[in-house]
Amino acid sequence: MRRLALLAPLLLIIGFLTFALLRMGGQDPTAMLAGPTATIEEINRLRADYGLDQPMPVQFGIWVGHVLQGDLGRSWITNRAVLGELIDRLPATLELLLCGVALGALLGIPAGMVAAFRRGRFADFASRALALFGFSIPTYFLALSMLLIFFYVLEWSPPGMGRLSLMLTPPPRLTGSYTLDALLAGDGAAARSAFSQLILPVVCVAIATAAPVVSQVRAIVLGVLGTDHISYARAQGLPHAMISRIALRGAATPVVTFVGAELAGLVGTTSLIEYVFAWGGVGQFGLEAIIKGDFAVVQGYVLMLALFSVAMFLIVDLMVLALEPRAALR
Amino acid sequence: MIATMLGFAPLARARGLSRRSPMAAIGVLILALFVIAALFEPLLTQYDPVAADTTALMKPPGGAHLFGTDANGMDVYARVLRGTRYAFGIAIPAVLVAMLIGVPVGLLTGYLGGWTDEVLMRGFDAMRVFPSIILALAVVSAAGPSLVNVVIVLGVLDAPVFARLVRSEVLALRSGGFVESAVAAGNTLPRLLFVHLMPNALAGAMAQSAVRAAWAVRISTTLAFLGLGIQPPTPEWGAMIRQGAEYMVTGQWWVGVFPGIALILLSLGLNLAGDGLSELLDPRQRKAG
Repeated sequence: MRRLALLAPLLLIIGFLTFALLRMGGQDPTAMLAGPTATIEEINRLRADYGLDQPMPVQFGIWVGHVLQGDLGRSWITNRAVLGELIDRLPATLELLLCGVALGALLGIPAGMVAAFRRGRFADFASRALALFGFSIPTYFLALSMLLIFFYVLEWSPPGMGRLSLMLTPPPRLTGSYTLDALLAGDGAAARSAFSQLILPVVCVAIATAAPVVSQVRAIVLGVLGTDHISYARAQGLPHAMISRIALRGAATPVVTFVGAELAGLVGTTSLIEYVFAWGGVGQFGLEAIIKGDFAVVQGYVLMLALFSVAMFLIVDLMVLALEPRAALR
Repeated sequence: MIATMLGFAPLARARGLSRRSPMAAIGVLILALFVIAALFEPLLTQYDPVAADTTALMKPPGGAHLFGTDANGMDVYARVLRGTRYAFGIAIPAVLVAMLIGVPVGLLTGYLGGWTDEVLMRGFDAMRVFPSIILALAVVSAAGPSLVNVVIVLGVLDAPVFARLVRSEVLALRSGGFVESAVAAGNTLPRLLFVHLMPNALAGAMAQSAVRAAWAVRISTTLAFLGLGIQPPTPEWGAMIRQGAEYMVTGQWWVGVFPGIALILLSLGLNLAGDGLSELLDPRQRKAG
């Protein structure tokens, strides 16, 4: 709960640092916005319009004032309100991130456990080698290779161009996930297309998730297996399945903590995968905003990332509390 | 003692590496191949990696061009070889910068504790709220995407890793008898930190250096892939994959795939060697295995 109290100053500091970084950086979006034929006067008028001629602390004060009223400013590239842009694109990213992380955890956690229980045997070696490979392949190259293999060579997958075939109209928006929305609307063709577009990027996120999870879960379970109470359970001659269950009970808390912490970092990985597959989610949007110097969008995106991370840590804390009531005493 | 400090003594024990840890030995072998490629590149190919040949555009692998040629008619094999220099040339200085900042900070905060420690550690926590690639991207795009900026930014962003490692070692050592006697003998604070504490607190940081170099290679090539940092036709792997990305789904796969494979192999080598290094340098890890 201490974290919650620190949230406001943390967001303020992060907001200010991003602000300072962007303003001190070499990019001047007004010149770009005004176009190559603009005169100095036109550029200066634009700067005044956007309030960029004010001293930086004044600009920051104005920005905070607007944010508190729910106004994150306007994108200089799409010329739409940043908050709306972010909210429109958020479901696409969440769909990708949550499906990918769920799949990665579903594969990675058992693989890590098997590796620990069968330490030194083939299963251990194989899962560690796969984890190492997943850890060594750069995310964007993984995504490109997937397209090469499954789209170009095998022709199993649609091209990596967004969330739905260009021939189809998106289903009416309810959840924001095209697959779910199309199913709810009873549009079979759209649901099939959305689902087939989803597979490759989700597999990429899952691989990026599973690699660190396997090695970490293995280390955690090995640590638990070395404790006194497991030795005692073994000495009592308890069946293997029961020992496994006791070990899993002890490993649950650190595993949840680790996966939660990973999730915050995976937002970056996911945005690269979005970029390659032209997914159009908030990650790709933020990435391109940083590259193009779209100040207001970067500002809003960074704020959203910080909120997401804090929310993630909070959820992890609550899950740990549920798994291990003792933790409340700390 | 100097030798211990630099990690030579444990490395001398590495001769038994292939027996004790075959995975680490494979890692060292891969790294050795890349070092050879970086040093002796002109002897390994007859082509200039940045010489455009308009008579040989987009040639598939085989024949005169082992890995084929790209859209400028440049030899992909020669470019992959030259790319090794960029990978090492960014990763090694970046890790050095990170250690140069992180180790003193870790020593100081670990030994002194108090509010400096609290403030710095909270600051590092706040940095972890953001994915490192987003942070690197934002800072490099603001600072301007030059080679030197990329190295400095990666070094600064990675410094907390080393600071944390050294700090936790110092916390464990602080109450040790040798620290107390060094204080009693009238050592100054810098002498105490760098002569007495540092050699004992460096093992964890040394062990992590190869793994952090893999991280630096990954982030710097990602920046180039996104179009920040080194620009084509410079033969840097990330920039080459960016060039090859559009041809990936039209059949000319070799432009992007070969630099990608080189990138995977180098990180694999660094990660494997790093795991072996931490087993050798950090006996506690050996138990956890």
